[in-house]
Parts: sequence; C-alpha cells; structure tokens
Amino acid sequence: MDTPARPPSSERGAPPARKGWRRFSSRARSNFGLYGGASLIVGYLSIVVLIPIAAVAAHGFSFSIQTQGWGAAFWHWHVSTGFGTFWHDITQPAAISAIRLSLWLSLSVAAINAVMGVAIAWVLVRDKFPGKWFLEAFIDLPFALPTIVVGVVLLFLYGTASPLHIDLFETWMGLMVALLFVTLPFSVRAVQPVLASLDGESEAAAKSLGAGGIRTFVWVVLPSLWPAVLGGFGLAFARAIGEFGSISLIAGGIGRTTTASNYIYNLTQGFLWTNAASVSTALLVLSLLILIATNVYARRIQRRLAS
Amino acid sequence: MSISLSHLTKRYGKDAVVDDVTVEIPESSLTAVLGPSGSGKSTLLKLIAGLERPDEGRVVIEGDDVTDVDPRHRDIGFCFQHYAPFRHMNVARNIGFGLRVRKQPKDIIDAKVAELIELVRLDGKAKSYPAQLSGGERQRMALARALAIEPRVLLLDEPFGALDALVRTELRQWVKELHRQIKVTTILVTHDQDEAMEVADQLLIMHEGRIEQSGEPTELYERPATEFVHGFLGPTTMFKGVSVRPHDLELVKPSEGAIEGTVQSVMELGFEVQVTVALSDGSTPWVQMSRNEFRNLDVDVNSPVSIRERV
Repeated sequence: MDTPARPPSSERGAPPARKGWRRFSSRARSNFGLYGGASLIVGYLSIVVLIPIAAVAAHGFSFSIQTQGWGAAFWHWHVSTGFGTFWHDITQPAAISAIRLSLWLSLSVAAINAVMGVAIAWVLVRDKFPGKWFLEAFIDLPFALPTIVVGVVLLFLYGTASPLHIDLFETWMGLMVALLFVTLPFSVRAVQPVLASLDGESEAAAKSLGAGGIRTFVWVVLPSLWPAVLGGFGLAFARAIGEFGSISLIAGGIGRTTTASNYIYNLTQGFLWTNAASVSTALLVLSLLILIATNVYARRIQRRLAS
Repeated sequence: MSISLSHLTKRYGKDAVVDDVTVEIPESSLTAVLGPSGSGKSTLLKLIAGLERPDEGRVVIEGDDVTDVDPRHRDIGFCFQHYAPFRHMNVARNIGFGLRVRKQPKDIIDAKVAELIELVRLDGKAKSYPAQLSGGERQRMALARALAIEPRVLLLDEPFGALDALVRTELRQWVKELHRQIKVTTILVTHDQDEAMEVADQLLIMHEGRIEQSGEPTELYERPATEFVHGFLGPTTMFKGVSVRPHDLELVKPSEGAIEGTVQSVMELGFEVQVTVALSDGSTPWVQMSRNEFRNLDVDVNSPVSIRERV
C-alpha cells in the first residue's frame, strides 16, 4: 500500500484523504459545477458593485479627469501623480474633520446598538407581552422608510421648533439619534435568530452548577451570541458611515456636523468631482477594512463553536 | 444521600404530568426511572433538580426540604440529554465551571479538573472544544462537569439516548463501574428497559405521571404488580387468554395433554428464535427459544406442533 492507513478522526468517520488537485477540486465543487458558484457571485458583484467602486476609486486617483472625461480617466491613470492628488484631497482639514466625525459616530452608534440590539432581541425572544407583534414590525421600520423621511421626522421632533423642547439641530447628538434609529434593525435582527436557536439547556446546566442569572448570561449566553453581535456591529457600522438622508437635514449647514457623506455631497454640489471621488475612496477603504475585520473575527469564533 | 419525594405533582394546564408521586430513593443507589415517552419521567427529574417547580408536594434530600431552594443551591449534578456543553469553553474549562462559580482557588480547581479528566478517561482532551469531541466523549465531559461540584445527588436525563448502539453499551458498563467507585446517589431516566435492567439496582416504573411500581429489577420482572409493568419490562404474548412471557412457553412434538397448533412463522435472531403458532381457537401466541432448542424441535412453517407452559 502506498498510502498509510489513517485512524478515523471521529466516530462518524473521516472522508478519505485526497492529495493535491483532487483534494482541491473536491473542496471547490459546488451545485453550479467547479467554480460555477464562485463565478456567479463574482460576476454579479462585478456588475453591481465592483465596477462602480473601481470607477470611483480610479476617479479619486486621477488628476486628468476634469479635462479628459470619465472614460479617459481609466486610460490615463498615473498612479504617482494620482496618489498625490488623492492624498491632498483627503487631508484637507474639512475632509479630515468630516471623516473623523463619521468614523467616531458610526463606531459609537454600532457599539451602542450592539448592546441595545442584544437587549431588544432578548425581550423579543424570551418575553411574552401584548403588542409584541407591533414592536416586531416596528423594528424593521427603518428598512422600509425612505431615510429622508426619517430626516424630516427628526427635524420636526428635535429641530429648533421641537415640540419636546429638545433642540438637537446642528449637534452631534442629533446625528447620533438619526443613526441609532436607522441602524437598529441590523443589530437586532443579527442577534435574534441566534438567541432563538439557543435551547436553554446550557443555561439550565449553568444554573444547576451554581451560576446566577448575570453570571449565566455573561459566561454562557453572551459567548454564544458573540459572532452574531459582531456581524450586527459590522453591518450597523457600514450603514451608519454611509448614511446620508436621515442626517442631512438635522446636520444643518455647519462644518462641525458635516459627516463624510454630507461633505461628499457638498463637494459634488460645487462640481469638485475629483475631491468627491477621493473622499469616497477613503470612506470605502475604511468601511471595507472594518467589515473585513469583524467578519474575520466572527468567523474565527464561529469555527470553534461549530460542530 | 437518600431522596424522598412526597405527593409530588406537576401540572401543565389541566394535565398532571407528574401525578402525586411518593417514593423513597435509598442512599448510594443507582435508580432508573423507566417509562414510555410522555410518562413524566424527565419532568420528575427536573422537579428533583429544581429546574421545574412542583404544584404540590415536597422534595427532601437527606432530611433537607429543598422544595423551595433555588436549583443553584441544591448541590445536584444534572446531566442533560444532549449534554448541554458550553461550546465556547474547552473540556477543562467546562469541567471547572462549577468550581469557578464557587470561587475556588485556581490550583484547587486545576487539581480537581485533572483528577476528573482522568476519572472520565478524557486524558489528552483537556484543551479540546466540545465540537471536536465524539458523542461519548461529550457525555463523559458532561458527567465530569456535574461531578466536579461534588453533588449530593447525580441526575442523568436519558444519558445514552443520543449515542449509537456500540458506544451506548460501553458507556452503560462504564457508568455502572463509576457508580461503584464514587457511590453518589444516582437517578437516571430512560425509556429502554434493557438499559434500566442492566445498569440500575433500583427500578421505578412510571406511567402517565404515576409510579406503577418500584423495587429491584429482578423482583419487578418476576412479580410485576400491574399489567403495565408486566408488559413494559419484557416481551409478552397471549396464551389461554392471559398474558405470559414467551420464554415461559415451549413447543413440543404433537403430543397428548398439550394444545395443538401449526407453525405460522419463524424468526431467527441469531441465538434467539421466535416461533409464532396458530391455534385452533384463532389465537397466535409466540414462543421464544434458543437456537439449539429450535434445531432439536426440527419444525418449519406449517409443521404441526404442541404448545405448553414450561415447568
């Protein structure tokens, strides 16, 4: 025999060991044939996401766009000069302040809603109360509502003429309220199904071993929810950093409350396409990095939990 | 530690799942609660552990009335049917959970965990996660985790239910052996009468929330108090209008003084052979015999035979 016998790695029995290409191809096989599934996703993403993103990025890196137009930008792309322009654009004090505001707002909003998302999901899964169905539907409202409508409502509620006498116009708190509202469904819906799938036996086991309610939650329940919480965090962050409609009104017109998305919009109003593209690219890279980081971390935990 | 339950009742809506159960479980015994599914045996276990609250009755452990004591202060080791492992903790941390909750010093926890890992034969698996263990290993980890708190009572809910046949037989023997070593009063719930007869020194037969009979396995098998116990503890067949054990019947060559009939079917199950006989009164009792007896009888389907009770 040329291959040594392998002891079974589990009672269920391990699949036979394959070498080189055979092993690789058996892993790559899918319902759509070899690489079929992967090419479907990549192809679709290219059309709807990657090409537009590439266009914006190219735009940001190109100095010749204003004189030669869109198509030419692709062919006269001088990276060294382009990068200089890009760096110049995103290090403008106004640009830095806008990106910084967007970043810290989005991170805090995602963090706050990660906590609130777990709490709300807990109530929705574990508690029974009249009108629960309404709350369930209400959570998803930000998904369905045009964000500019949220902006109008918030301006009415928390604007200078606030009927509640809470004036958040042109303050970061106004922005935060708007972002908390539009990102909440991401945080709740990421956690809810995972919480619902916990059978309660682990919690009962913790209890029988002497653990109280808080300790059971922190030591046993929360670790099972971590990947979902992180996933919700990533989505909420991405949504917050890209949000425009709901915050554009309450932000008013002053620099202190100009977020990156707002800043980009203002640039386009002044026909500063290259600057707009540069800041967009910076925002894009930041969002992508944070999404990748949360995903990688969540996957690492998930791998350990999965049976 | 002995456990005594008095008039224990648990209702879900109007149905009493556990219905006025009064029983004494002797100290250091290994008791099997046996019954069909829905007989209330798992609920009985949860009532003892405090994971369910009774509507009526008391739970007394070694003279201590624990009916109103929170489960986390009952010092009861509970093993769940699906083991309820803490998936994000490795084997050592799973086993040490109860000790960390009790704020024991780290070196004492480490020593205790190492000792238990050896006891349940999980050597070399301390750093593995539950997902990397086989069913039997997970079961033993759950047992070690329950034993770590040095419980007064050990409760096992269908401990072998989710394992395949081979591992199951092995673990039964092992649990019996373990019980001999540590002598903690143990109650296990099962629907498998073979398992109960093999492992336990005390049986408690439940049916529709009530206890039908309790006692030693042999005693129950030989002197069942009710028709249900008789039927549940082993195979039965109708002969002369009464229910009997098929191994208490025998087949002989057609002869006088015995009831005559014809062989209807033969099922050979290795050592055991089951022969069904059609009698003139229309009844079809079956007889359990050894392979050798069957060979000596030398019959086939449609052969005439006589059937009688063994003496």
